Amino acid sequence: MSLTLVIGNKNYSSWSLRPWIAMKAAGIPFKEVLIPLYREGSAEEILKYSPAGKVPILHDGDNAIWDSLSILEYLAEKFPDAKLWPTDSAARALARSVSAEMHGGFQPLRQHCTMNLWLPVKARPQPPEVLANVQRIEAIWADCRRRYGKAGPFLFGSFGNADAMYAPVVARLYNYGLPVSPATRAYMDAVMATAAWREWHDAAMKETWVMQNNEPDWPLVRGIKVG
Amino acid sequence: MALKLIIGNKNYSSWSLRPWIAMTVAGIPFEEQVIAFETEDFARIVPSLSRTAKVPILIDGDRVIWESLAILEYLAEKFPDAGLWPKDPAARAHARVVANEMHAGFQPLRNHLPVNFARRIIKRDLPAPVKGNVRHIEALWADCRARFGVKAARGGPFLFGAFGNADAMYAPVVSRFHTYSVDVAPMSRAYMDAVMALPAFKAWEAAAIAEPWLFAEDEVDWPVVHRADAHGSNT
Repeated sequence: MSLTLVIGNKNYSSWSLRPWIAMKAAGIPFKEVLIPLYREGSAEEILKYSPAGKVPILHDGDNAIWDSLSILEYLAEKFPDAKLWPTDSAARALARSVSAEMHGGFQPLRQHCTMNLWLPVKARPQPPEVLANVQRIEAIWADCRRRYGKAGPFLFGSFGNADAMYAPVVARLYNYGLPVSPATRAYMDAVMATAAWREWHDAAMKETWVMQNNEPDWPLVRGIKVG
Repeated sequence: MALKLIIGNKNYSSWSLRPWIAMTVAGIPFEEQVIAFETEDFARIVPSLSRTAKVPILIDGDRVIWESLAILEYLAEKFPDAGLWPKDPAARAHARVVANEMHAGFQPLRNHLPVNFARRIIKRDLPAPVKGNVRHIEALWADCRARFGVKAARGGPFLFGAFGNADAMYAPVVSRFHTYSVDVAPMSRAYMDAVMALPAFKAWEAAAIAEPWLFAEDEVDWPVVHRADAHGSNT
C-alpha cells in the first residue's frame, strides 16, 4: 500500500513540485520516481507509469491519479490528519477557490516566467498581463492570510494544499525578481524556508538537464554561456 | 441559508452551466441570478463579489465561492447524499482526475468551438489540435464508462453511473460537440444524448435560446449569426 509519485525534473517541473511538497511537508511517506522531461526516451518512460503521458502521477496500489489538484484532493481524503485542507469549512472553501484559480489560470505568468529554480535572481522586464497576474496573486495571498492565516506563516496558518498549489509561483516571483510587497515577500520566505522546499531546491541544483525553452537568458544558463 | 448562484448568459457561459446543472440534477435548491456579460450590472456586481470578476459564483450566507471546480467540491461536501462524487474511492479519484483535466485543459477545443446553444447545428472544420482534444475526450469518456460507469452502485448512462460532478464538468463539451456536429463514436453520441435528455439540460438550453444577447467573439461565423430555423434564422 505504498505510494509512488512520478515527477519531472525538479528544476523545471512546476506541476510536479505541488504534490511533492505537500506530501513532504505533511510527512506522508512515498517513493519518488523522477523522469527528466523532453529528452530522448522521456515519453516512453513516462508512459510506463502514466497512460495519459503526464506527470505528476501518483500510484496507490491499483489507483493511478494524475493532475496535481486531483492528487492533492486524494491525499487530503486519504490522510485526514495531515490537514492538507483547512478544517474550518469556510476556510476550506476559500482554499479550494484559490487553488482552482491557480490550477486553471495565470497563463501569462506561467508562460513568461516558467519555473526555473537555478535561474540567477534578477529583475527581468515583464509585460503588463504578467504584472496583473502578480497583483491578483498578491491580493489572494493577502486575503487568505488576513482571514485565516493567523496561526502560522502560510496561507491558512499551517502549510497545506493551497500553499502547495502556489509553491511554483513563489519560485517564479523569486527568480524573476518580480516586484512584490513586504507581506508577499514574507510569505515567500516562509515557503522557501520549509525543509521540504530546501530538499527539492537542493536536488534541483544538482540536476544537469537543460531545457532551452525555459531558460530566459539563453544562451546563458546559470549565468554561464553555453553552446 | 438559501444558496445563490450567480451566472453569466446561458447561451455562452460554459463555466456557469457546470454548477447550475449539477445542482439542478441533484435537486439542490438555489436562487439563480443571471448577469449578462458586458453589461453595467456585470461590471458593477461581479467584481464586488469576487476579485476574479468571473462567473459562476456561489453565495452561501457570508461565504463566496468561485471557480466552477471549487463550487462543485463545496457542494459535494455540503450535500453528501447528492452523490456528486462517486462513493467508491477509486472511482472518486478518477472522477476528480477527469474533472480537473477539463478544468485546466482542452484550450484548442474551447477556443475553436465556443458554447452557443442558440446556434443552428452546422458542422465546423476542426484543426488538428482540436481533433486531438476530441479524440482524447472520447477516450476519456469511454474509459470512465467501461471502468466505472457500467458497474456503479448508483447506475445510469453517465460517466460514473448516476449524473455527478464529472458529467457537470463535461456538459459544455457535450453542447460543443452537438452544436458543431463533431464526428464522434456511437458510444460518445449515446453519452451525449443521455446528458442532453436531462430535464435540467433542456431547461438551460431553452433559457439560453430565449436570451437576447449576441456576442461577436463567440459567434464563429461573425458577422453571420446562424440560428435554428424554429427560432428565426438571421443568416
